[in-house]
Amino acid sequence: MSQKRLKLVPALGTRGGPARWRREREGASVEAHEQGFKDGAWSFLYGEDTEYATTARDDEVAKASRRARTGAPPDVVQGPVMKPAVWTWEVPLYFWTGGIAAGSGFVALACDLAGDSASAATARKVSLAALAPSPVLLIADLGRPARFLNMLRIFKPRSPMSMGVWCLTLFGNLIAAAVGADLLGKHREARAIGAVAAVVGGYLGSYTGVLLGSTAVPVWSRSRLFLGPIFVSTATGTGAAACRLALVATGVPEGHPTRLALGRVETGAIAAELALSTINERQLGRLSAALHEGGAGTTFSAAKWSVRAGLALRLLRRRGGPVTHHVASCLYLGGGLAFRYAWVAAGRHSAKDDRAVADTARGTGEGKAEQ
Amino acid sequence: MSKAAVSERLGFFTDTTVCIGCKACEVACKQWNDLPSDGGELRAGGSYDNTKELSASTWRHVRFVELLEPGGGNMPSLPAGGSPLPAATPELPSGHDDVDLLEWAESAGGDRWLFMSDVCKHCTNAGCLDACPTGAIFRSEFDTVVVQADVCNGCGYCIPSCPFGVIDRDHEDGRAAKCTLCYDRLQDGLEPACAKSCPTDSIQFGPYDQLVERAKGRVTALHQRGIDTAYLYGAGDTQGEELAGGLGAFFLLTERPERYGLPAQADSPIKEGVRQATLAAMAAGLVAAAGVAAAFAVPGRPSRANQLASRLRGWPR
Repeated sequence: MSQKRLKLVPALGTRGGPARWRREREGASVEAHEQGFKDGAWSFLYGEDTEYATTARDDEVAKASRRARTGAPPDVVQGPVMKPAVWTWEVPLYFWTGGIAAGSGFVALACDLAGDSASAATARKVSLAALAPSPVLLIADLGRPARFLNMLRIFKPRSPMSMGVWCLTLFGNLIAAAVGADLLGKHREARAIGAVAAVVGGYLGSYTGVLLGSTAVPVWSRSRLFLGPIFVSTATGTGAAACRLALVATGVPEGHPTRLALGRVETGAIAAELALSTINERQLGRLSAALHEGGAGTTFSAAKWSVRAGLALRLLRRRGGPVTHHVASCLYLGGGLAFRYAWVAAGRHSAKDDRAVADTARGTGEGKAEQ
Repeated sequence: MSKAAVSERLGFFTDTTVCIGCKACEVACKQWNDLPSDGGELRAGGSYDNTKELSASTWRHVRFVELLEPGGGNMPSLPAGGSPLPAATPELPSGHDDVDLLEWAESAGGDRWLFMSDVCKHCTNAGCLDACPTGAIFRSEFDTVVVQADVCNGCGYCIPSCPFGVIDRDHEDGRAAKCTLCYDRLQDGLEPACAKSCPTDSIQFGPYDQLVERAKGRVTALHQRGIDTAYLYGAGDTQGEELAGGLGAFFLLTERPERYGLPAQADSPIKEGVRQATLAAMAAGLVAAAGVAAAFAVPGRPSRANQLASRLRGWPR
């Protein structure tokens, strides 16, 4: 080796400078290395005459691994095992606005079916207004906001985030087109486009739950069958509440059937949300601690009490008058927002709980996976 | 890239029984990949480990595993200046030529220190790869999982999708980053920087099948020498029991995985459950839409009433 003079010209870039992706000279290579990864084979361990390894016994190897990876976990987990999501306040706020947009889409469809096209047009405007800040929030949360268009580089059915971005794009265009048709006085077209948007909205309101449920975070992944339905309920409840308040603001009178129906939708959706949350907490077992402890727990119980107060006000409707109903709608909206924040915060808490992560992976946690 | 001599699966076999915790691999990795230092603070929770964990700027990390019984994981309290070592430490037997140091060390008590050079596992079923919405993460011709830094927009979805807590987003750079198994070096036929620098060959690099065979042989050899707890983490499992479909970078461990901060079982979370979750969510979406429509239909003939109300208020129909 020593006889041969080495040409120490860098294969990539110029000496001392950062390497570029392309070679400085075509076909250049690093001197003094062996092709075909033979560098690694310089080690004595690769020799035939060492005592490093012996002839493998496959069954024994597999058995040793099974022994270590099943059964009781050790007393100590020396974490961190996994990393929590880095998402900040924009993401739960988007879950809320996107949910309102999807829920308002449902309301617009139902209004159309019931023949109240004026309220349907209002609901579509609410949907568009709620949707408008959504992409801005999502882009603001990116590490490299200028590259947001890379999201539309590929269509990837496997990734809930890719599907969600496409769904958001489609929904946004549809609802904007429907509102445009409304403004141009083309009600038939608006109805048709609004109906398609409502179907797309079914995924827009629920995919966020799928997105969280398809991670390794214990409290999210073990709620995976419930998160979608819970998020849809919140979306429907908050969407109906927003539409109801918008209708009130635009002068739809008290006792109007659409107002009454929206009141029922709100209450039904929020009651379903509370019921699903309770069932989910039961099946989570010990993992539900993430929903009760720390900041996430405080937000979660605030959300629950807020919507419970709303439900109570609804039940007192005889005595309360219309203002009570408006307060209830506001409580649902606020509670829905708190639910979104609580779920994201709970995931952060859960991912940092090394014992919960390890036990969930091993399958020895109380709340075992629903396979 | 005509230099790529082969394009078979390549991987790492990290044999923790010969790791001395020198952290040369970390330094080599940082130098080759131009990564910044992490400040040199000790890991929280009681450890002498001063590089904490794998992160966007630490792609190889030598984990220090303090096994201090009972209640391991606590920082050993150092004796105050000048005071003798704890009384429990037996005298090194003298006057014998052949002192069995291993036996002596074991008689000194259960406290041990393990080192494990942790790295991205380059899973067969990679959670980060399934999650990535931009296609920035791809599987290379060497069957490794690589992030394209010029495509990643830092959405952060890969981070909770990795069951091993490997990939992370750099808060200054804004993009996700992790071990590339030195993709640039592989394309030139060079072994990765960490494997190159490892002085004890705890990190071995090579064609995957060859590495697995060597690793299995090593486990068998250790068992024959009486180290029954030795096992492979991520390779050599029977079908259906693999970790994330088999790990491209696998490990020889002697304690249960949680001791090293590794999950006992793992798979790509999306592969595990995205179908059921999507079905449940879409069904709920349909039920919700139907429920809303039903709520409008409840009081008899709503459309009539609505028409009447609209007409009364002079709204356009």
